[in-house]
Amino acid sequence: MAIRLLVVDDEEDFLRSIVMRIKLRGIEVHGVTSGTAALEYLKANPDMVDVVLLDIKMPGMDGLETLRRIKTCCPSLETIVVTGHASQEFSCLGHELGAFDYLIKPIRLDAILERIQAAYRARQTTSAE
Amino acid sequence: MTLTGLAATLIPLYVIGAAIYLYFASTLEQNQRAQLYNLALNRSNAMQLFLAERTSMLEVLAHTASLEGLTSPGELKKVLTILNEHQHSFIDLGIIDARGDHLAYEGPYPLEDHNYGGEPWFDETMQRGVHISDVFLGFRGVPHFVIAVRREDQPQPWILRATIDSEVFTRLVRSGQIGLTGNAYIVNRSGQFQTPPRFGGNILDQASFSPTIAPPGVSVVFREDRDAGSLMTAFAWMTSKDWLLVIDRDPSEPAAPLRNTLRIELIVLMISSFLVGGAVVFHTRQLVARLASEDRNRVATEAQLAHSARLVSVGRMAAGVAHEINNPLAAIGELAGLMEDLMDDTYLASSPHAELFQENVRKIQLHVDRTRDITHRLLGFARRMEPRQDSVNVNDVAIEALSFIDSEAAFRGVELVQRLDPDLPLIKSDRAQLQQVILNLVNNALDAASEEGRIIVSTRSEPDVLIVTVEDNGSGIPPELQSQIFDPFFTTKAPGEGSGLGLSISHNIMKGLGGTLTFDNAPDSGTVFDVRLPRTQE
Repeated sequence: MAIRLLVVDDEEDFLRSIVMRIKLRGIEVHGVTSGTAALEYLKANPDMVDVVLLDIKMPGMDGLETLRRIKTCCPSLETIVVTGHASQEFSCLGHELGAFDYLIKPIRLDAILERIQAAYRARQTTSAE
Repeated sequence: MTLTGLAATLIPLYVIGAAIYLYFASTLEQNQRAQLYNLALNRSNAMQLFLAERTSMLEVLAHTASLEGLTSPGELKKVLTILNEHQHSFIDLGIIDARGDHLAYEGPYPLEDHNYGGEPWFDETMQRGVHISDVFLGFRGVPHFVIAVRREDQPQPWILRATIDSEVFTRLVRSGQIGLTGNAYIVNRSGQFQTPPRFGGNILDQASFSPTIAPPGVSVVFREDRDAGSLMTAFAWMTSKDWLLVIDRDPSEPAAPLRNTLRIELIVLMISSFLVGGAVVFHTRQLVARLASEDRNRVATEAQLAHSARLVSVGRMAAGVAHEINNPLAAIGELAGLMEDLMDDTYLASSPHAELFQENVRKIQLHVDRTRDITHRLLGFARRMEPRQDSVNVNDVAIEALSFIDSEAAFRGVELVQRLDPDLPLIKSDRAQLQQVILNLVNNALDAASEEGRIIVSTRSEPDVLIVTVEDNGSGIPPELQSQIFDPFFTTKAPGEGSGLGLSISHNIMKGLGGTLTFDNAPDSGTVFDVRLPRTQE
């Protein structure tokens, strides 16, 4: 079964490009520009997402709040936090809130895909248990 | 501070010493006065008693014996013997009629034929009945004094006259002498010695002072004598005779114990002053040294705190800048990546510039990667991360580190030399942290290298370790600073130019990676840093 990915980032150029590039690599991917939109998408499409690639610094609902809510509504989803702002606090908070990994922008697509696949494998293992 | 401390401790000490001395001196003087007063009173009473006894004896004799009896041959001699039985105080006895002629005489001098009519003592006795004379020479030419009593008899009065042994009287007076320099004597109202003084004259000489200076009764005064100097003198006027008992004493003689006390006190004060002074100086110096040291530490700590605060600000600013750059950089990277993804063979064949576009897109990604390395390093330098176990080509890390400083080195005319072992094996280590260490070393080397200098980065392999050596040709590390160079915040750079953290962080990173970071002086000049990594092959 193919990986289904949701990318949440307020930087539209980045979002559009990465969504297209991931699609080109055969992964089912959907992009949204805010935490609210992400939650709405997940609500409208239950069990249609395996992994979320989530930006932290966003206007309105920020990534950490979005992560908290995702973990409430869809606890089995794996979330990879991506941000241009590296800080130990965000990293620790992300892990506490249940993020699978924490990546710092800019990052090579190969590396992102590798972490997405690892997250997907982890989700598969959790689901099987 | 030392002088104040000395004054604060020594002045009270000397004040107490002076107070003790003055108290002793005053007590001694009071005791001396009291002693002299009592002595004068006592001696004066004894002498008055002596005279009163002798006068009474003569009065009893004159009024109980008859003239015939006393003048009969041998009778006066018998009486004189009886009077002198217990104490030899009478020299002679005489019975004198109203005209002044001797009716009988018993004594050692040939005075029987002398007539005393007109003699002051004779007239006085005839007039008053009883008389004690002053000392005078008289017919015998020897100083003496007499006690005479008149008997009112018929047909005419007569006088019983006795000469008192002045030796006995003088002994009585001299018993009032104290010490080696004490003097005791009697003067009459006109100032003539009535007993011989121990010093300063003979009997009947004129005393050096006028008796009018003596107040009535008994008194003790300080006076200056022209011969004897300063004297403490007790005066006692006798009540039965206008004689003045004088007891002189040199006030310095009884003060000898006081002088000893003063000497001992001065020695004790000097020793105490020395000890207290020494202790004050020692402790004050210690205190001042400690204050100075604490002051230096405080200044150093404040400087360090200010430096740390600046570092934190710089770190925050760097992180903020990196963050602001990272987001657009990520967008650029992904946009370029998408362009590359979309450049398929059809597109490449469609345009003569397509290959150039493709190459440029790759270059854009390359530069994004390079910029990313910089911003990640900015964000990651201060973070402590658990070492990762990457597969690391140490030569690549060294080349990369040198690439960061090549433009700066070119600007300064510093030559960068690579002597890398081409057969270096891959090892398991944390690439990012190793890069941070080598970058720190080459950065330091660039700062240390002289203008037109040289930095040599070499790698080599030994059985258990891989060694990266960074050598500069600067002035080296002075021996006195060598023990501190791995301390946090230690820097020889000007304030604001170096955090002093680079070598400290590098040292800790190497420990975390299981390796070591050491240094030595370079063969010519400058410093050689050795990074030793455990050779854990994949």
